[in-house]
Amino acid sequence: MTHGLTDAQFLNTVASFLGPYYIVLALMNGIAALYLWRTGTAKTWFSIRTGDQTFPFTSAIIWLLVAFVFIIMSPLAWSGNGAWMPSMPEAIREAVNRSTGPVVYSVGTVVLLSILFVFRRFFVNPTVAWVIWNLMLLFLGLSMTDRDFYEIVAKPDNVPIVMLVLLLAYFTWLATYRAVINDDRIARGEAPLEALDNEKVLVWPDLVYTELICMIALTAFLIFWAIALPAPLEEPASSVKTPNPSKAPWYFLGLQEMLVYFDPWMAGVVLPSLIVVGLMAIPYIDFNKSGNGYYTINQRKFAYIIFQFGFLVMWITLIVLGTLLRGPNWNFFGPYEFWDAHKVEALDNVNLSQIFWERFLDRPMPMAPSGSPFAVQAGYILLRESLGIILTLGYFIALPPLMALTVFRKYYQRMGLIRFMLMANLMLFMASLPIKMVLRWVFNLKYIIAIPEWFLNF
Amino acid sequence: MAEKKKLTVAEMLAAARAGDGGGAADKTAGDAPAAGTPPAAEGASSTPPKPAAPAASGEPIKPATAPGGGRMSVADMLAAARTAKAPGAAPAGEKTASEKAAPAPKPKPAAAAAKPAEPAAPAEPRDTASILGAARKSEKAGPMSKAEAAAKPAAAPPKPTIVVPPMPLKPAYAKPKVVVAKSADEADRRDFAGAMLAVGFLMVAGISGIWTLLTVKFMFPNVLREPPSKFKVGFPDAFPGGQVQEKFKAQFGIWVVNAEYNGQQQIVALKSVCTHLGCTPNWLEAEQKFKCPCHGSGFYKDGINFEGPAPRPLERYAIRLADDGQIEVDKSRTFQEEMGAWTDPGSFIPV
Repeated sequence: MTHGLTDAQFLNTVASFLGPYYIVLALMNGIAALYLWRTGTAKTWFSIRTGDQTFPFTSAIIWLLVAFVFIIMSPLAWSGNGAWMPSMPEAIREAVNRSTGPVVYSVGTVVLLSILFVFRRFFVNPTVAWVIWNLMLLFLGLSMTDRDFYEIVAKPDNVPIVMLVLLLAYFTWLATYRAVINDDRIARGEAPLEALDNEKVLVWPDLVYTELICMIALTAFLIFWAIALPAPLEEPASSVKTPNPSKAPWYFLGLQEMLVYFDPWMAGVVLPSLIVVGLMAIPYIDFNKSGNGYYTINQRKFAYIIFQFGFLVMWITLIVLGTLLRGPNWNFFGPYEFWDAHKVEALDNVNLSQIFWERFLDRPMPMAPSGSPFAVQAGYILLRESLGIILTLGYFIALPPLMALTVFRKYYQRMGLIRFMLMANLMLFMASLPIKMVLRWVFNLKYIIAIPEWFLNF
Repeated sequence: MAEKKKLTVAEMLAAARAGDGGGAADKTAGDAPAAGTPPAAEGASSTPPKPAAPAASGEPIKPATAPGGGRMSVADMLAAARTAKAPGAAPAGEKTASEKAAPAPKPKPAAAAAKPAEPAAPAEPRDTASILGAARKSEKAGPMSKAEAAAKPAAAPPKPTIVVPPMPLKPAYAKPKVVVAKSADEADRRDFAGAMLAVGFLMVAGISGIWTLLTVKFMFPNVLREPPSKFKVGFPDAFPGGQVQEKFKAQFGIWVVNAEYNGQQQIVALKSVCTHLGCTPNWLEAEQKFKCPCHGSGFYKDGINFEGPAPRPLERYAIRLADDGQIEVDKSRTFQEEMGAWTDPGSFIPV
C-alpha cells in the first residue's frame, strides 16, 4: 500500500490520519471530564490550598489535562515531520520485535487474560479501564508512524481486526463490570442489577425508533467505510501461483492457524464441526440454572472460564495472530518487523514415531518388506505408530473416567454418564489444540499419529 | 328464519364472536345459547376473576357467565346496557324478534346485573363508546410492567366449561346420495380421465428424465482445456546437478529437479502442489527449500517434507528419456514416497 512512497510521503499519509485521530482522543477525554464534572461523580484526589481558597483536584481535571496533552500532540502529528511526530521509541520497537514469536504471543495472551480475570475487581474499575483504553489507543497512534506497523494495521483487510480488538475489549469490560457488580450484590443477598430494571418498554415507539436509528447509522457507517477503504483487488487467480502469504477471510484465520498444527481433515473438518456441534450441545450439557438473564461470573465460573478460553484465546487471539502477525511463508513477524519473504526459520519437525524409534530406541523404524500383502503392511504401520495410537486413545478414552473420578467428581454426579462423557470429550478436543501447539514449540513434534499412507494424521 | 334481518347490534356482535360467525344466529333455538357462550368465556378468562356473585339463574350457560367479574366482552356490555333501557327504548317488535332469533344475549344480563355497571342510572342515555369506556375503566390500558403484573392477584382463572353444541342434523340435500348405477357414458368418461392422467404422469417422468440426463451431461464439459499429460522438457544436460528448474511451473505445475535422493543423483519431476492442503509452494533459492505460503510447510530440494504441517513429501510425476534423447514427463502417473514408490524406475532418471 505504501510501496513506492518515500519516507516523507509516507509520513504525510500517516499525518493526515494521526492529526484528526489525536483530536478525537482529546475530545473523548474532554467529554469524559465534562461528564464527570456535570454528574458530580468526579472524585477529589487531593486539594491545593492557596491562602484561604481550596482548589479540589478532581478526576475531571485529570482527564481534562489528558485531553490537553492529546490536543498538543495533534498538530505535532499533523506536521508530517518525522522529528516532531510522537512515535514509539526505536528501542521499544526493537525489543518488541525481538521478544515476540508464536510462543511468546500465545502464552503471553493467556497469561494476560488470566491476570485480567483473576484481578477483574481491579481492572473493571471505570477509572482503570479508562486508563487502559487510553493507553491502547495511544499505543496504536504512536506505532502508526512505523512503516511496517502501518502496513499491517492500515491494510483495508485488517482494519476490521483492529476494530474487533477495540470493540471486544470494550464489550468484555462491560460484561465483566456488570458481572462483578452483580456478584457483589448477590453476595449481599440482593437481586442482580437486571432484576431491578424491569420497566416496560413499548415496541412502538421505543424499540422501533431505536432500531431505525441504528439501521440508518450503520448504513451511513458502511457507506463511509466502503468509500474510505476500497476493497483490495488482487491479480487474477492462477492455479499455479498462490499469493504469499495466502490468507483465509479474517473470520477463518483461527482455523488457518489451527491448520499449522493439524492435518487438514482434522483442523479443516473434524474440529470445526466439533466447534459447531459443541456450541449446540451447551444447553443440554449445562446443568447450572443460575445466571439466566443477568451477568454473573461467580455463579457460573466453570462455564465462564471454559467459554472465554475457547472464544478469546482459541478464536480471537488466533485471528489476531493470523491477520496481523503472520507474514510471507506463514512465518511469524513482530508488529514492527519488515515482511521479508526470505526470513529463515528453520524448523525440522518430526513425528512422534520418529522420536520414539530413531532417537529413543535408536533403531530404524519398522517397515514392511516391499511387496508384502496389505495385512502385513498394515501391521507394520500400526506397530510403527503404536505409541501415538496408545497415547491418543488413552487421551480420549482413559482420561474422561479419570476426570470423573478426580477433578470433576461433582460434575459427574450431577450430569450422569452420557452428558459427562460428551462434555469431557468436547473439552479434550478443545484442549488438543493448545497441547499440540505446545508440543510443536517444545519438541518440534509434527504428528502424534502419522500414517500418511492412509491420510491419517493426528 | 326471516326475523334475522332485524338483529340488534348486541346479537350481531355476539354472533360474530361465536366460533362459527354469523351462522350462530341461524341455528335453531336449541343450540344458539351454546354458540353464544364462547365470547363470554373468553372475556372472563382473560383476566383474573373478582369474587363475583354467581348469577342466580338456572340457565344452561351459567358456568360461562359465573366468573364474569372481569373484563366483559363487547356483547355483554352492550346487552347489559340495552336491557337496562330496553323497556322504554327498544321497540317491542324488535325485542321479541331478537329473543326469538337468538336467545344468547338474553341470559347474559343476569350475570351482568351483578356487575359494577349496574349502579348506572337506567334512564341515562348511553352510547356504545361510553358503555365500553365505563366497563373497561377498571383495566389500565397499555402493557404491564413486571412490577404491575406482580402486584395483581395472580390467581389462575378457573377454566370455563365449554359446552359443546350438538351437531345439527344434516339437511336432506347434504346427505350422501344413493349411488346410482353407472351409465355407460360415465364409464367412458372415467376411462378417458384415467388415460389422460397416465399421459400426464408419463410426460412428467419423461421431462424429468431428460432434465436429469442434461444435468449429468453438464458435469462433463464440452471442451477440456488441459495441457497434454505427456510433454518434453528438454535434454538431460539442460538440468545440471543441484538445480531446480522453475520454468515449467506456470504452464505444467512441475519442478524439474536434479538432486540426490538416497545417495543417487536423479532427475525428477516434482508436482508443485503442497501435500498439506494443496497450495502452490515457492522455491526459495537462497534457503534451498520449497516453502508453502499457506501454512508454512517446507520441503527439501528432493521433495522430502521437513517443516510445517505437511504430512508427506511432494509427489513425483512419471519421467523417462524419450527416444530422441529428451526428457518426457507424464502427468497421468504420480509416485508417492510414503508408499515406497520413489524406488520405481519410472519416477526418476538416474544421472
